[in-house]
Amino acid sequence: MHPNDNVATAVEEIRAGEEVSVPVAGGALTLRATEMIPFGFKLALQDIPPGAIIRKYGETIGRASTAIAKGNLVHIHNLEGTRARGDLERRGGQ
Amino acid sequence: MSFLGYIRPDGSVGTRNHVLVIPQGIIAKSVCDFVAGTKTILTADHGSGRTANDREQIARVLIGLGRSPNVASVIVHAASPGAGYPELRAERLVDEIAASGKRVEILDPAKDGGTYGAILKGIQLARRMVHEASRSRREKVEDEHLCLGVKCGYSDTTSGIAGNPAVGYLYDKVVAAGGTALFGETTEIIGAEQALIRRAARPEVAEAILRTVTVQEDRAKATGLDIRTVNPVPSNIKGGISSLEEKSLGAIHKAGTAPIQGVLKYAERPTRKGLYFVDNWMGHLSIFAGYAAAGANVVLFQLGGGGVAGRTLLEGSPSVVVPFLWATANPRTYAAATDSIDFYSGTVIEGSETPEEAGERLYRTVIDVASGTLSLSETLYYTEPIDLYLQEPRF
Repeated sequence: MHPNDNVATAVEEIRAGEEVSVPVAGGALTLRATEMIPFGFKLALQDIPPGAIIRKYGETIGRASTAIAKGNLVHIHNLEGTRARGDLERRGGQ
Repeated sequence: MSFLGYIRPDGSVGTRNHVLVIPQGIIAKSVCDFVAGTKTILTADHGSGRTANDREQIARVLIGLGRSPNVASVIVHAASPGAGYPELRAERLVDEIAASGKRVEILDPAKDGGTYGAILKGIQLARRMVHEASRSRREKVEDEHLCLGVKCGYSDTTSGIAGNPAVGYLYDKVVAAGGTALFGETTEIIGAEQALIRRAARPEVAEAILRTVTVQEDRAKATGLDIRTVNPVPSNIKGGISSLEEKSLGAIHKAGTAPIQGVLKYAERPTRKGLYFVDNWMGHLSIFAGYAAAGANVVLFQLGGGGVAGRTLLEGSPSVVVPFLWATANPRTYAAATDSIDFYSGTVIEGSETPEEAGERLYRTVIDVASGTLSLSETLYYTEPIDLYLQEPRF
């Protein structure tokens, strides 16, 4: 993963309350998953306020549609993509 | 490294040795049903009522398939409903295919005794042409003659961490050897274009990538729809992909790390070697016929897992004359459809192989298929119809 990322992908299922160690530059970040994170889904590495950019691969994958706490599951319920959004266009811009 | 292929008069190298009968229709189908070793295309679009741009796109597919290095010789018939348009005249198709130096014959029901007469003549010609093609022998050639095409689908996390990286390794290796590699799916680079333009070989390539993305994104916005109800597709979301941008950033891993030499239209042939982006659409019944027409001689579908539960048989052959491989890194997909899957790289997740080792094994699989080993989908007669990528309204 990229040093600027604020989410990480679970390469195996993480149980609610489980402590996980995420490799980051020069060490490891330890945090507790607040809920179950299925294989292949994303975990917030820090608190992310509503509207903040969410980064994976060092690039923008969307923004927080609600407040996300460190250790939360990050998916379509709290992350929204901003590209190619005809619905936003219709409502008069982003 | 090298493979065994059929050297064609224009210097391109085939991995198969078919006789092609085009366009689609009862004449082509009847000839192919009667004569072994022949192929035709199966698609509903023959150009009638289509705009000039779309007719040219159809012509590019037909001419491109005719010129494919996997085709020894071609029969063109003049009975297609679209043949009255200048772009799709049988004589035009014949001339442009014959420019590659291969044998091209024409069937015209108006001169050859009607539909029955054209079928009879076609069967007689095709038998001689298949027999003549069978005299060709494979020769050892270098990897610079490989031209690959890829798409990923039903993408999930295994695609991003083990499937696409193995394909990326293959792409880098073939491009480094002087070969050609094609990737595309314009909707699935929205959000990843900055990562791609950093790899543009020249400034005009970066501009072309940005222009292509802008046109596609504007089309998406013009629908007034939330793209998330369309793409990522439900199987992607089930697999953990949350946005189109995230899907795009994972998808581009399959293109490796080589510089991008240009942006091609659907079914357009690259003018040089190297890695190219193709402005096409993700549908597998569309994309592979386009790669085949662009000159690809091996194509791959990197399969994830979302939404494929219960699919124990993966159909194939959407690439008409080009061997088609199924690859996956998802253990459940592989376990369900082992008989259909040519390459498995879930080993990377299981820890028994590095991504490089898996990529090297994929490369050897491709060389093997290029040299004549059948891909698993080639063991089926079943052929899916082709969905030509046409973008303009019909009138």
